[in-house]
Amino acid sequence: MTELITTLAVVFITAGLFLLIANQLSLSPIPFFLVAGLVTGRFIEDPELVELAQWGIAFLVFTFGFRTDFGSVEGVIRDAETAAVTQLVVVGPIAFAVATLFGYGVENAVYFAVAATLSSTIVGARELEQEIRNNLVYGRLASSVHLFDDLLAIGLIVVLSADQYTTTIVTSKIGFGVIFLLAALLVYRHGFPLLVRLAGGSDELVMMGSISILIAFIAGAEFADVSIVVGAFAAGIAVRGDDVSSIGVRNGIASIRDFFVAIFFVTLGALVSIPSVEVLVVAATLAVLVLFVNPLVLMIAFVFEGYDARTAFFASTSLNQVSELSLVVAIQAWLLGTITEALFDAIILAAAATMILTSVARRYEEPVYRSIVGRILEERQTQKIDDRSYVESDLTDHIVIVGYGRQGRRLVETCERLDPEYVVVENDPVLWDDMRAECENYVFGDAMSRYPLEKARIGAAALVVSTVDHRPLSEALLEIETDADLVLRTETSVEAHELLDSDVTYVSVPNVLASDQLSDTVEAVVRGELDEADARAEHLETLETLERYKLDARFGNR
Amino acid sequence: MSEIALAADFAIIVVVATTVGLVARQTGQPTIIAYILTGLILGPVMFGIVTEEGLVESMAELGLGFLLFLLGMKMRFEDIREILRPIVNIAVWQTILQTALALAVAWALGFDPTEIVVIALATVFGATPIIVKILTDKDEITSLPGKIDVGVLIVQDIYLVVVLALLGADELGSASEIATTLAVIAVMMAFIGLFSIASSRYLLPGLFRRIADDKDVFLVVAIAWAFLFIAVSEQFDLSLEVGAFLAGISIAQLPYSTELEDRITPITDFFILVFFASIGLRLEAGDLLAYWLEAIVASVVLMIGNFWIMFYLIDREEFSVETSFLGAVNMVQVSEFSLVVGALAVSREFIGTEVLGYLSLMALLTMSVSTYIINYNHAIYDRVKPWFSRFESEEKGDVDLEKYSNHAIAIGYDEITERALPILEDEYGEVVIIDRRTDHIDALAEADRYEYIYGDFRHGEIRKEANLKGASFVLSSTVQPDVNRALLDEVSDETTVFVEAERIDDARDLYDRGAAYVVMSTHLTGEKLSEYVEQYFTDRDAFRSSIEADIDRIQQRVNGETPRRLSRTQSGGDDDD
Repeated sequence: MTELITTLAVVFITAGLFLLIANQLSLSPIPFFLVAGLVTGRFIEDPELVELAQWGIAFLVFTFGFRTDFGSVEGVIRDAETAAVTQLVVVGPIAFAVATLFGYGVENAVYFAVAATLSSTIVGARELEQEIRNNLVYGRLASSVHLFDDLLAIGLIVVLSADQYTTTIVTSKIGFGVIFLLAALLVYRHGFPLLVRLAGGSDELVMMGSISILIAFIAGAEFADVSIVVGAFAAGIAVRGDDVSSIGVRNGIASIRDFFVAIFFVTLGALVSIPSVEVLVVAATLAVLVLFVNPLVLMIAFVFEGYDARTAFFASTSLNQVSELSLVVAIQAWLLGTITEALFDAIILAAAATMILTSVARRYEEPVYRSIVGRILEERQTQKIDDRSYVESDLTDHIVIVGYGRQGRRLVETCERLDPEYVVVENDPVLWDDMRAECENYVFGDAMSRYPLEKARIGAAALVVSTVDHRPLSEALLEIETDADLVLRTETSVEAHELLDSDVTYVSVPNVLASDQLSDTVEAVVRGELDEADARAEHLETLETLERYKLDARFGNR
Repeated sequence: MSEIALAADFAIIVVVATTVGLVARQTGQPTIIAYILTGLILGPVMFGIVTEEGLVESMAELGLGFLLFLLGMKMRFEDIREILRPIVNIAVWQTILQTALALAVAWALGFDPTEIVVIALATVFGATPIIVKILTDKDEITSLPGKIDVGVLIVQDIYLVVVLALLGADELGSASEIATTLAVIAVMMAFIGLFSIASSRYLLPGLFRRIADDKDVFLVVAIAWAFLFIAVSEQFDLSLEVGAFLAGISIAQLPYSTELEDRITPITDFFILVFFASIGLRLEAGDLLAYWLEAIVASVVLMIGNFWIMFYLIDREEFSVETSFLGAVNMVQVSEFSLVVGALAVSREFIGTEVLGYLSLMALLTMSVSTYIINYNHAIYDRVKPWFSRFESEEKGDVDLEKYSNHAIAIGYDEITERALPILEDEYGEVVIIDRRTDHIDALAEADRYEYIYGDFRHGEIRKEANLKGASFVLSSTVQPDVNRALLDEVSDETTVFVEAERIDDARDLYDRGAAYVVMSTHLTGEKLSEYVEQYFTDRDAFRSSIEADIDRIQQRVNGETPRRLSRTQSGGDDDD
């Protein structure tokens, strides 16, 4: 057994143990890798391990390159522009100033600022999984900012890989970056399809071919003396494939990535020495900046841009952790020898701490919001809600539709046809224009707060229909004093059953409805009572009608 | 970025191996051959640019560890239970007879005694990756001959592990020392083996049940488990391979093993490439060709001899002649394990590199020839059938194997699919459910009504296990378009496929790809809701009675036989990437 295998055994056995803890506490594994590294520390001082760790970086960025949906970038930029400007103009400079107060030079202050500003996609996406799936506005907003941060990080890494900051060197780095992207597009167009064809259906060969492309780009990056991160990212773009065979390939690469990424994070943790007081102070300051200052500034920016208080608060508090790409920036600086030992240690400690704390803090967000933030902010937002809403003042016996997604649009359409009066309540700024154009009465605000519902004259309404599958919202609607009939939405029949025990008129469960329709259709098809071609034609026609009424909105899952 | 080029040797091997692999693919040759050739091209035989040292050596060892881990994980005794007895008979006798044949051949070719022993030990095995790969591609892996071959290979693997342990031991001077070493190995293996069995009974089910839903944790803990065994066997002076293999076996019997297999396979593919290349790297041109004539003679003799041995043994178990022929003709090659054993023997200095060259040449020859033989096994049988008919007799016949066919598959066990399952069961007899959530699997195990497979539909092994290609009806409750596209791509044209979609564009695309019906729960709910709202304002009584009927159904579901909290399955799994 070579020494490296022994080292890897130590790395993985420790990581495995810590991951069991992470799993028990339902926390993200990344900080636990770092902690596993801290614990094993000096046992695994192996230069070959650092080499494997770099493979971890390469694979991390590589998969980011082929996973990123560039079609959504436009939406991301629209969502994240406020956050972006805020981060670059406010948070970054604050952190930079703090670092300067610690006596760091420009270079190290920049590393500090990067760590303080950018937030982690891997940790964030895990925390927000449910919200993103249910398409809540703050889930989408936070993931847009994460994506923006990742792209920003890649750009920063390009610039920061310069060992001297003369204009010529920096421009040449950027120039190489552009060349790599162009080469990637060329491979994407011609090279990769050829590879898939030559591989003749062998996933193994397509996978090894993709990795070879990764290696070629990294070699190119090393040759041009830019960061391997750029090469890896470009390679990721080069092997994007939408054809079916790529599922197996992507899964394969993801497995290999997970193997190396584990090594990367543990190694990172292991590089930290026993912290001095200085390191602890810097780490604590960084953690405070990430955990409190950054979210606070972002929240103010979101509110300013027109998001409701709740969305602003929940989006910004899911951005309070150090990004894994900031760690890449740190280790790159460590390899270049441009970062001080103390700052390097502090960044990693702060990353581990904030990644754990962000998950823990999320469990207390709701009470914090209700007792402090909501009280301060919601009162101030009435003016804004008034400005952006239109409700006739004598509305009675109307229907309040919560959510302007696909179901909401459908209901609006029905109401327009039958003409009972209605009010739509929605808090997604993206939908505001449509809502204003299409709806008779509308309230732009968060249905979980008191004022928007008052504005919708919920007290005088005959019927309230929520198209949003979000338990806290359902509960908030139940608490409202009104004689109106209440229709809610849940995901499972068990939840629906629980709600039906309280004062609810009806609960719609899409799964149950779908299941009924499905079993009817299945029965008809297997018994030969339904002609498949007819059913298909009929369904396609229905879909066309839906589209004509723009009922398949790009946003909103409701 | 730094002076450390990303392990240049390692990188070069990967790139060249892929290139050679792509070329080999055009001629229908397996990747293993391409990888060994890569070693020869890069090593001293041709260009000598890469050496087998440092990181490359570690990666090669890692590859071997993962290969054995994976092999252990494939040892699901359940799979071969029906034909276990004949398989053990075949495997034991095959090992004895082929060892004898290999001994005789090596002796006749004039190798010295130690070399003869190593060569005999090394050339017994069939090449698992080649047989499994080609038979899988041909959809014959679950046919009877395929099962017999895989069963024999599994038993051989145990033998291999003993051989590896033996070669790894320190004292092999005399017969009594060998006997002592064997006994010590047996005791240690029994000890670790017991631990492995005990943990697969008591520790692992609970542990993996808890973590299987978290894909990041799942993989790393499984790898940690392998390394734990590796570290323990190291303490017992056993080889890394033995530990990895036993770690694999302990996981194999869990319902999560297929899913894990699919995640470990790519890592193995990645590192094993380095291992095979490193074999080529060790050889000098002189080594490879030192015994070229002997290698050709031995290859021919062994291929013919092995065929007859296997044919005789399978035939003796009274399977049909066709089964015996196919089962035997698939197994004629010398395995990559001959290289594993050979490489180990070289490092222990039992043999010189020229004998490894001889083994490599044999492996290359027999593997490349047998690739064609396996690919055309039926055509060959049709040619020689008249002659082989003399072995036919009344008593011979094949056992029926349990295999899903003309069955229904449900992807995801949740509220959407649940009600349709009894209908499908009535119609198709057998319903197989694929789900990657442990709580759903537990519910299925408890209900004990349908067959189920734990795993992510994205993974090929899972689809294979469910025999997707042979299904009559597939019902998918995932809305992930890529999963549904892959599904529609793989099923046969006759299969009726129901899928779910979230977006209209996706639905249209899925119809174009042959879906029989696309369920769209959001639009459906929208439609229902607006109907209800309409009733609410036009006919309040009708509204009341409609929703009451719905509410009744919700209550019924909850109070039904198996009250469960089934939320939407991410049956396709979350994106792994």
